[in-house]
Amino acid sequence: MDELTRIVREHWFWSGITAACVLWYSTVTVYVAIRGSFDIKHMLARLAKKSKEEE
Amino acid sequence: MTHFSWALDGSIVGLYLVATMVAGIMVRKYVGKVEHFLIAGREMDVYLGIASLAATEFGIVTCMYAAQSGYQYGFTGAMPGILQAVAMLLIGLTGFCVKPLRESGVMTIPELFQKRFGSQIRWLAGVVIVLGGLLNMGVFLRVGGEFLVQVCGFSAGEAGGGLMGFLRTHYLEVTMSILLVMVAVYTILGGMLSVLVTDFLQFVVMSVGLIAVTLLILVNVGWGKLVTTVEEHCGTGGFNPFVHPELGWAWVVNQALLTIAATLTWQTTIQRLLAAKDTKTGRKIYTGTSFFFVCRWLIPALWGIAALAWLTPAVVAELPKAVQDKLAMNSINAMPVFLSQVVPSGLMGILFAAMLAADMSTDSSYMLTWGSVIYNDIMAPFHKRRWSERKGLLVNRFIVALIGIFLLFYGLWYPLPGNVWNYLVTTGTIYLASISVLLVACCYWKRANSWGAAGAIICGAIIPVAYLVLEQVWKVPKFDAAGQAVLDAAGQAVREGYLTQVIGPSWAGIGTFAIASAAMVAGSLLKPPPRTDPTPTDAG
Repeated sequence: MDELTRIVREHWFWSGITAACVLWYSTVTVYVAIRGSFDIKHMLARLAKKSKEEE
Repeated sequence: MTHFSWALDGSIVGLYLVATMVAGIMVRKYVGKVEHFLIAGREMDVYLGIASLAATEFGIVTCMYAAQSGYQYGFTGAMPGILQAVAMLLIGLTGFCVKPLRESGVMTIPELFQKRFGSQIRWLAGVVIVLGGLLNMGVFLRVGGEFLVQVCGFSAGEAGGGLMGFLRTHYLEVTMSILLVMVAVYTILGGMLSVLVTDFLQFVVMSVGLIAVTLLILVNVGWGKLVTTVEEHCGTGGFNPFVHPELGWAWVVNQALLTIAATLTWQTTIQRLLAAKDTKTGRKIYTGTSFFFVCRWLIPALWGIAALAWLTPAVVAELPKAVQDKLAMNSINAMPVFLSQVVPSGLMGILFAAMLAADMSTDSSYMLTWGSVIYNDIMAPFHKRRWSERKGLLVNRFIVALIGIFLLFYGLWYPLPGNVWNYLVTTGTIYLASISVLLVACCYWKRANSWGAAGAIICGAIIPVAYLVLEQVWKVPKFDAAGQAVLDAAGQAVREGYLTQVIGPSWAGIGTFAIASAAMVAGSLLKPPPRTDPTPTDAG
């Protein structure tokens, strides 16, 4: 435990940024995935509407 | 020995491939115009843009070179990701260059250059962008194939006659050819719309695989072991690039210049900006994706460090001879060999699907974006206002197919360079230096003109191309820090490019940016200002 504390203290920058990456991929990607699925739905609906209007 | 199970892992991979193909092909019905094919009708919103950009910019090749950087340089190897994240964030927040670019309504960067520098510069810029881009992506297929084959533990069988004999000896080429054909099918049919939808699916699969394998490594190897391994092998330089004996200031400055230039002009990134429904959305995509660039480098670098920690001489001695040879040949093979040994069945299928997803999203996007420059800029003199939408779509699909064929041959037969990232940096610089200088000058320097633009493009391309060629033809023995000749396993002297010894890729890169900028300034100042007709005077 002392060794791990030393490592985290000495290398706080890389320890912090690694923790942020793991947290980011576990949370933000889920949010982006949910909102992204709605974006696809709306994008295709807009394209279909435009296509109908042009016809 | 690998943990890949055809029944369990093969099913996971098969399910992913079927879902991707169905999603990619289904959206083809929405493609009615060239604008739909190249930039999704400019209907892309923020979160789809973030998912698509994050998926595109993470391919197997990314994973391999970032892991190789981690294996060689420790945590310092992830530094380019941090630099690019800062560049993405600042450019997204300020709108530097990307705001005027998106608001101009163009489909590619060279099209913007035509407005300022004329059609010849547009054509020339298109040529260097395609040249740099295609050379860059040329290594993707083989690197991707090497990863998949090693992680699954496929090994070349005995050569024999007939089809089965050919398959046994060319498993990598056959696997990657099938994968490329699948990607080409949905990209040719649906263009940017298929790319966006499949990118989204690939983003989800890729994220699950990346986080699962990273957690497995953190639990099994441990954070303490990873850090102490870097301390032992790289010392302080493994955490700080400025004090690393092989990197230093020049490397950091070159990486910073490259990441800024890539953020401003890399075709796959820019195409997301141009496909966004408005400028504000495009800028939000930049800021929203910025931290993914840290993850894009740091997560594979962690895998590379874990390989360094795990592949001790005692462990390597237990591996089959063929695997030992691979490890001795190139450090890029360390990470896949490590994963093949520690990832259990089930998770192996998720990892395989995640890496397929990463590779497919990158390949499809790269084929489409460089195809768009060929059609929109290089072929512009042939079709300007003359081709119907139908013919334009047909030509675009044909170009994507041709790029696929080029990739198949160049990508599978070009021998892998020692350090893949250095190769990508050098080929990318062919256009990154000149086109970024042109873009900044085009947006913010009123005096910039076609002479300066031509000078920047030519000077920006000549240096990296000359460097690449001379590296191959002018080789000298390599010496270690003590001045002794480095020998390989067979006792032969290791040779390296002369330019690597006397200049190195970092100074060559910085020099390219400096000379391209100087050429832009000198050329623009040397060109006489346009003559204006004398104003008639009352006396006249």
